Amino acid sequence: MKMAISKMRSRFWNIVLLVASALLAGIAAGQNLTYRQDPGWQPPQAAVIRSNPLAQNTGAIGGGRKLFLRECSECHGQEGSGRKRAADLLLPEVQKQSDGALFWKITNGNARHGMPSFSRLPELQRWQLVLYLRQLPASASSASPAQKE
Amino acid sequence: MRRVTRYIFLFMLAALPAWAQESPYFVTYDHHLEEPGNLEVETQSNAGFPRHSEPSYFAPYIELEYGITTRWTSELYLEGQSRSGDSTIFTGWRLENRFRPLAREHRINPILYFEYENINEASRIQKEAPGHATEFNVPNSESRHIRAHELETKLILSSDVHDWNISENFIAEKNFSHNEGIEFGYAFGVSRPLGTIASAANCHFCRENFIAGAEVFGGAGSTQAFGFQDTAHYFAPALSWQVSDNSSLRFSPAIGLTSKSAAVLLRFGYSYEIRGFKDKLAGLFRSKQP
Repeated sequence: MKMAISKMRSRFWNIVLLVASALLAGIAAGQNLTYRQDPGWQPPQAAVIRSNPLAQNTGAIGGGRKLFLRECSECHGQEGSGRKRAADLLLPEVQKQSDGALFWKITNGNARHGMPSFSRLPELQRWQLVLYLRQLPASASSASPAQKE
Repeated sequence: MRRVTRYIFLFMLAALPAWAQESPYFVTYDHHLEEPGNLEVETQSNAGFPRHSEPSYFAPYIELEYGITTRWTSELYLEGQSRSGDSTIFTGWRLENRFRPLAREHRINPILYFEYENINEASRIQKEAPGHATEFNVPNSESRHIRAHELETKLILSSDVHDWNISENFIAEKNFSHNEGIEFGYAFGVSRPLGTIASAANCHFCRENFIAGAEVFGGAGSTQAFGFQDTAHYFAPALSWQVSDNSSLRFSPAIGLTSKSAAVLLRFGYSYEIRGFKDKLAGLFRSKQP
């Protein structure tokens, strides 16, 4: 009797594990791997009008580059030109956004499109990233690399 | 020969790589999840020194943390334990999932945590200390045979305020193997990076690479005996050091605050993050271009 109960318990936990594994595999396979611009990913006006406190601090760009290579280049590429699942940061659609908008997007991420939140970075480091994004060389098609809205 | 095997096993657990930069906490969770597609391999150890004449112990564990989506992180733990003057044993495994219900950053960010534990009573990694205090004087030969299938849930509340992280964890744990009721616990943590602006240099000892903090954690009894009687509580300063872009070290000495707590816990952690792990793995199975 005891053995039968023990066997049933063991079978129960095996089934639980199997279901959990299948669930994990299914979700992983269902991840979005193709980047599309998300029109719904809009920062609030209060965030858009914020200015970069490091805007005049050109010495902070180097640190921004270091952070970019560490935190962003895996998806956006070393030059920021994007990969299959991340935005090309040289595009005018990106560069024309205000510093505040870019800061908000780095801080909050976009869960629907796989962009993680970087709120774990100190605030000044996120502004350093914005500063560095402005320095990325403009692509041939982008006419004005650093316009603010 | 068996002793040599045990030490090799412990060494392997303690020497394998694992978490890059992140909070210095060992017990408290904040709301920052693993980035999707990244795998973090982490090894941690918990050396405990109980009060009185109870033997000390060393409990290493390996943690594999994978970002499934931006709002879902899953972790697998494999743990062991070695007790002074006793044996070295494997104490079980845990599967943990953390979900972030809200997409954006808020003043308070909730995370839902579910963990299944298939361990035995010899487990000493002390990832938390819910319920009543652990009995330290039971030999491994006895405690290893007492299995524990447990479901642990946590409500994690975490805020980032001017570069400070403030996190609160509320724990409820149910052991399905024994009638212990539902056990409760808590963990609170505060941390802050020592430097908030990144230098251009690739330096190892820059202030920005260090995060200091402190946490308190303990038990609050169970549904059978709710309250702080016979519970363990600890206060633990903690420090993490980002050694390189992918790896970090953590250290935390915890001090027992009650007579039922161990006098001191010493924790070390080393983590290594494999960025784009999913893509790298997929690349291995991709057909070659002609």
